[in-house]
Amino acid sequence: MNYKFNFLEKTHKINLEKADDLFKIIINDKQEYTITDVEVESNLISFKADDKTYNIYCFSDKDKTHLSIDGENYTLELEKDIATKAKTGKQQKGNSVFSPMPGLLVKVPVSVGDKVKSGTTLAIVEAMKMQNELPSPRDGIVKKINGKEGEQVDALQVIVELE
Amino acid sequence: MFKKILIANRGEIAIRVAKACKELGISTVGVYSTIDKKSLHLRFMDETVWIGDSPAISSYLNIEAILEAAKKTKAEAIHPGYGFLAENEKFAKACEDAGIIFIGPSSKALSLVGDKVASRNTVKKVDVPIIPGMHMTSTDISLFKKTAEKTGYPVMIKASMGGGGKGMRVVHNEKDLEKSIAISQREALSSFGDDSIYLEKYIEEPRHIEFQVLRDNYGNCVHLFERECSIQRRHQKIIEETPSPALNDELRIEMGEAAKKVIEASDYTTAGTVEFLLDKNKKFYFLEVNARIQVEHPITEMVTGVDLVREQIKIAACEKLLLSQDQIKQNGHAIETRIYAEDPDNNFVPSPGKILFLSEPKGPGIRVDSGIYQGCNIPPHYDPILSKLIVWSENRNMSIVRISENLKEYIILGIKTNIGYLKRIIDSKNFASGDYDTHFIDEHEESLLPKQEKLNIALIAGALNKSLGISKRAKEYDSQYSQMTTPWQEIGKWEICSLS
Repeated sequence: MNYKFNFLEKTHKINLEKADDLFKIIINDKQEYTITDVEVESNLISFKADDKTYNIYCFSDKDKTHLSIDGENYTLELEKDIATKAKTGKQQKGNSVFSPMPGLLVKVPVSVGDKVKSGTTLAIVEAMKMQNELPSPRDGIVKKINGKEGEQVDALQVIVELE
Repeated sequence: MFKKILIANRGEIAIRVAKACKELGISTVGVYSTIDKKSLHLRFMDETVWIGDSPAISSYLNIEAILEAAKKTKAEAIHPGYGFLAENEKFAKACEDAGIIFIGPSSKALSLVGDKVASRNTVKKVDVPIIPGMHMTSTDISLFKKTAEKTGYPVMIKASMGGGGKGMRVVHNEKDLEKSIAISQREALSSFGDDSIYLEKYIEEPRHIEFQVLRDNYGNCVHLFERECSIQRRHQKIIEETPSPALNDELRIEMGEAAKKVIEASDYTTAGTVEFLLDKNKKFYFLEVNARIQVEHPITEMVTGVDLVREQIKIAACEKLLLSQDQIKQNGHAIETRIYAEDPDNNFVPSPGKILFLSEPKGPGIRVDSGIYQGCNIPPHYDPILSKLIVWSENRNMSIVRISENLKEYIILGIKTNIGYLKRIIDSKNFASGDYDTHFIDEHEESLLPKQEKLNIALIAGALNKSLGISKRAKEYDSQYSQMTTPWQEIGKWEICSLS
């Protein structure tokens, strides 16, 4: 069986084959692992890889798989979601500025038609008592402002669009 | 002693206070905003009262609604927790006027110490060293400029009513001064309902060391030693330990006595914390008094065995402090890590949302002060603190090992948290050496990046889960959620298999 997971904007291909009591897994057509002693019990997956035992907590939420390994969390997404995922990239690029998190739109210090420079603050969003300034990704002219000061905004909601 | 106390807070601290009340035989009134209707703290209260809409300004900062709730439920006293109204002089005064005991210092003492500028002026008089800077708040930008020129850049802008790093800004040159003033004012207003700010010299390479003090209404005063709070992000503490690796016994006694002097000069009662900065030459400066029970109070409880919230309530009820200074000893070593809903690998952006899976560590020397349960929603309106993991052991090295092992067993899935990041700090050589200051996180940014060395293991687990998990769990959602305990039950029942 083949799976493609997206992790931090990179795709990883995993080939999994079951053979008697063990699994053979090949990652990105290169690294091979022999997996034994696999136990899946509700949210805990245990297995042995290269003679080391792992106990991993796991929760599947639609196409996302949340995992915790020795205190570090990993969220894997099935490949089919990558198309819709593109806009969630961390970089504010191109023609729009979006809020990275849900919060309160505190201030939009620009107006439609304003000429702005790369780095100019276009909006200030507050969540959990922390104010985040959203800088312009490039030089340009403000084309559209979505949302008013004092309004609640969602994560990834585009607040300011540039021409 | 009181019969009923209203707890004007939410999250882990509301629960911590409710537990102290129960142990003293006091019944509790909890309050909540619209979005907090299902929050964990309400499960620990005998009665609950809705106090307003979700934004803090309408609810947890709403003095009228909170007093109304206290009157309606006939609560004799209000415990403010930390943050929100904890150091708000107007609130303390309003309680006094309404004949309700505010569990904290008197409004008069609060006006001296809760206000950082007033407190600088008080402390100057009793020969405790202070940081050079302004002696009054101002909106006059030219005064900020003048003071900054006099002390030299970099300077620090602070909210006079502030705490927890909110409204605080370091300014490196005159060019950035005006903009930073505006940001600080806005943050101060939204966090504390007061936009007064001032400026002082920025001490470079400082350690942040604070002393816990208790003082009753009869003049009895003790300190309960220090807490080392230098590991901070955005001027907000994330890891605290006690004893501090920076102090020797002589300096410890000197600073403890200075802390008592500050508290006595302000005629401050109940529990308070005197914060100092310690520079690289081991000279200390008074920073401020935190007129509240603090987030990091448990580490002091772990090494001294004194229940600070209980003492705070007893003092507010006019009982005499039965502890004397020579009875208070530091035993062993304690560390606290604050668990936040935020993404440390993306500039600490807040990460509100639903906790899909939760398992909290248990075992010898472990304390978890938690405000969350599996399935709960973390709202975007308030501070991102979720819980605190505190450990105690015989010495610093053993405490470090213990907290590292137990951060591994602290599992929160569904939202981003700083658990992995805290573990990277705890595991670093620089933390282990004990030789660090408040710039630790900026200086070690690179080495604290996630290594993702277990990505392949994660991918294997992901593939196994998809291949086995789904067939084994045909009713996937049902069975996953059937594992969920409700807030009425104990949380975190996992028995952890050792990895080695």
